[in-house]
Amino acid sequence: MKKILALLLAAMMVVGIFAGCSGSDKPAETKAAAAPAETEAPAVTEAPAAPAESGAVELPRNETLYFAGQQWGTVNSWSPIGTNQNNSMAIAGNSGGYRTLMFETLYMYNFMDGSLVPLLADGDYAWSDDMTQLTLTIKDAAKWSDGTPVTAADVVRTFDIGVQVGNNTGTGFGAYISSIEADGQKVTINAALNDEGAPVNPLKVLDFLTGTPIAQAAWIDTVVDRCGGDTVAILNDAGDDVVWSGPYTKYYSDDQKVVLIRDDNYWGQDASMWGSLPVPKYIAHTIYADNAAGETALKAGEVDVCQQFIGNIQNLWEKDGLPISTYYEEAPYGVCLTMPTAWYNMNIPVLAENPALRKAIAMAVDYDSIIANAMTNQSPSFSDVPRSLMNPTDGEQALYDHAAVADLQWAGNDIEGAKAMLDAAGIVDSDGDGWRDWNGEKISLNAVCPNGWSDWQAAMEIVAAAGEKIGVEITTLYPEWSIYQTVFTSPSQTEYAIFMWSPDAASPSNPWQRVNQMMGKVYVGAENNWSGNWGQYVNDEADALINQIPLTTDSAELKDLYTKLTEIYLTEVPSFSLMYRPSLFHAVNESVWTNFPSGDDGRNIPPADCTDGYGIAALYELELVG
Amino acid sequence: MKNTLRQLFHSGKFVAGFVIFVAILLTVFIYPLVNPGDPLEMIGVGTFARPGTYVSLYDAVRTDTQTLRLSEADDNRIAKALSAEDRVAMVEWFTTMGIDVSDLDIDDTDALLDLWNANYDPSIKPQGMTMAKRNYYKRLNNSLQEIRAADEIILAEPDEESGALVKSDTISKTDYVNVSQVANVKNLPLGTDNFGRDVLKELVSAAGTSIVIGLIAGTVATLIGLSLGLLSGYLGGFADDFIMFVTNVFTVIPSFVLLILISYSIGQEQRGAAVVAVVIGLTSWTWTCRSVRSQVISLRNRDHVNLSKLSGHSMIRIVLTDILPYIASYVVMAFILQVSTGILSEAQLSLLGLGPKTTETATLGLMMNWAMLYSAHTNGSWWAYFPVILTITLISFSLNLMNTGMDQVFNPTLRD
Repeated sequence: MKKILALLLAAMMVVGIFAGCSGSDKPAETKAAAAPAETEAPAVTEAPAAPAESGAVELPRNETLYFAGQQWGTVNSWSPIGTNQNNSMAIAGNSGGYRTLMFETLYMYNFMDGSLVPLLADGDYAWSDDMTQLTLTIKDAAKWSDGTPVTAADVVRTFDIGVQVGNNTGTGFGAYISSIEADGQKVTINAALNDEGAPVNPLKVLDFLTGTPIAQAAWIDTVVDRCGGDTVAILNDAGDDVVWSGPYTKYYSDDQKVVLIRDDNYWGQDASMWGSLPVPKYIAHTIYADNAAGETALKAGEVDVCQQFIGNIQNLWEKDGLPISTYYEEAPYGVCLTMPTAWYNMNIPVLAENPALRKAIAMAVDYDSIIANAMTNQSPSFSDVPRSLMNPTDGEQALYDHAAVADLQWAGNDIEGAKAMLDAAGIVDSDGDGWRDWNGEKISLNAVCPNGWSDWQAAMEIVAAAGEKIGVEITTLYPEWSIYQTVFTSPSQTEYAIFMWSPDAASPSNPWQRVNQMMGKVYVGAENNWSGNWGQYVNDEADALINQIPLTTDSAELKDLYTKLTEIYLTEVPSFSLMYRPSLFHAVNESVWTNFPSGDDGRNIPPADCTDGYGIAALYELELVG
Repeated sequence: MKNTLRQLFHSGKFVAGFVIFVAILLTVFIYPLVNPGDPLEMIGVGTFARPGTYVSLYDAVRTDTQTLRLSEADDNRIAKALSAEDRVAMVEWFTTMGIDVSDLDIDDTDALLDLWNANYDPSIKPQGMTMAKRNYYKRLNNSLQEIRAADEIILAEPDEESGALVKSDTISKTDYVNVSQVANVKNLPLGTDNFGRDVLKELVSAAGTSIVIGLIAGTVATLIGLSLGLLSGYLGGFADDFIMFVTNVFTVIPSFVLLILISYSIGQEQRGAAVVAVVIGLTSWTWTCRSVRSQVISLRNRDHVNLSKLSGHSMIRIVLTDILPYIASYVVMAFILQVSTGILSEAQLSLLGLGPKTTETATLGLMMNWAMLYSAHTNGSWWAYFPVILTITLISFSLNLMNTGMDQVFNPTLRD
């Protein structure tokens, strides 16, 4: 009886397996059959906004530019006036310039030369003599996707709704711009004034030009009506019916990938702008689980443009012989615009009261190791570009007097110098346990960065190793990102003693903005602080100098101010940078597309992922291989 | 006792396991004497230096040279700079540029190089050629120039007064130095890891740490399991029910999940190697407890135990003298398995980033964790993780072999 039962069961299982196989085969076939029809449909009807319906989006490879390293989850919103969006391909303000695939800014920033290239704006902007008013005109050719012209009123409405609901535009620029006025195509931006009648910060007004995506006034009204004027509802609106002005629009989006399709009616093909459409018909971003998956896809040629850190990237072409290249052929391979920085927490007394301790730790750290290990040499060294408040670009380096601060700088791994400095400051090992004490207690600090951010983790390990060498106990701590971000943005936290974050990279308001982030008093005590001065460092002298800079136009005076600030920074050491780093990584695989921008091609297109600021110009010049 | 040991060493499996384990132990003790220093010292600047012998170039040029005229030297140089694929690629370049290559012999290096030097221009951008390909030709051109470089390399030093470079020495193609005469030669049999640390040195230290973690974890787990099992089995009744209830609760929750949660909540700052070991021990005692209990239950009604009870011996004495010796062999076997489990658990925990602190100790799991974080497995740096896996395998394999060998000796049902 048992045998028969067993046989029966086995037979059922076999049947079940076969049934399972044939069952799963069928949908696959239908998917494959349905796909081409779907992708062709928009091209024939010229209705780019029509999104594909099913999960099977097969894109013709030679019409699609694939990205990696930007989008890490399902897109939650298409509204340029909302907040907390994760829509990296369409709505993304980067410090290298706004991503203008779908929504456009007035000007495009080019961090290679600091220039502002007109996009929606026509020609150059003009300041009034006292820098209280900035005027510009909107291009006549500029049109929304519904065919209506982009007008100055749209700019006004975009700013006003921002201030009203408190989105990034409102919180970012509300303090620096008092109002914007429209007169036909002419836009007048009135800078906010301080008590003396001078503009608060003209540099931030320029940031508005390159950093704010303009939304259509009529569409904003629709959203406001739909939400009954409720601020939270407006901020969280999904924006599925959004009107755009850029060359691409949404085509398909789910938890696997997001695809943008070219709008063949894009106004920018007018001779007054690009004169043509961007080359790729589709912009696609597969949502990868992690960096390793994206890197593997890049190697396999499934990704054309990769915004991810890839260690020892030169091996991809030197050893593996893959058709992958970066902006520059040689190290550091990209354009470093920022410097990941270790911040000292001034809420912790031993750090707040001992500049000598802060400087000693910074002097003992082996930066060459960090740059070689964590960045695999994709950063200039601190002996090539001595530490200051500036990023390594020539423009910023020229802004301070190198000779005046040379004595204050340090190249790192100076164990004896650091020990001597601590001894001189009276921070010694008084109880013979091998660790230095302060006020009778062993100094014990932690060095913190988010878990899984491997290059930063390696850097923190090297900081901890430096501490051990000079007798200061530093232990590493890697909390999950969700925890890390709530703690380090809190102004009163004492959990993290030394923690990592990057200041701003490049925008019209930098390096002032970055200096302000390093030492500005304005951020001290701010709750949910994503803006700057995460270590809560207060220095009134530095703050006064920082506030003078935006209003200073004389270059010698400016250089003097920046030099003084660098002096304070290098003496007080409220934080120390660990490496230089690009704000966007830019590795391209030329299996399908070629003619990407490179450092020596004379085109002056920045390595901004082919999408950000003036970097989008690259999309108009791509060519298919062969 | 002597007899037992003799029996044990007659078991091939036990001896094999024992020899492997002792070999690993000896290496852990002896290697640091041969190669002293901090195993966590970051000697290399840069990630993943290949295994091999490193000769200080600085010292080498200052070492006395010997002239050796080796006939194959030039061929070796050319082969190193110009592979067969490179030759084909050069011909491709000529074809792209519309140069007649019908007479060219691809293996005639001189002819190939002459034609190349006459025609290659790095500033030319042939239509349709990718940036990656153009960069490849630039690199190829650079290495070709080295083949054609002069027979001598000139060493020059700046003049103290004028600062101008003055020729101080030359190195010719036939100059050789004896490695034993170079002041600094570093042998890195397993290369360096992502931090630039000597992998072999780190591995030996890590193996030691992992064995200690295994021993601590095994001791903790065995002690808890043994005492609870003895109590539960011998006392019976309510005590048995209660202890079994607790044990069952622990059995139902997967111990690894428990381990992750405890390690996570302890926090990295408190997580030394010893703490991790104790945590592992605290989560893995349940099966020892259950098996000891069942053995004790079968023992507690034996005649000699009842005799002891009648003689008025205390419970502790009965347990220690009348019960424990009968299950001692089993406990030792369980202990060995616990040690093996402890080592594997540490590796798993560290791989998830929940292991001991990196700057303090090297453990096998941490080495794998960092190798994985730095994609050693995808970028071909096998030396950063493969020896670690091999070591873990060898340790647990040897322990398990010893266990099986003991089982055959002690377990009457398996005895030959």
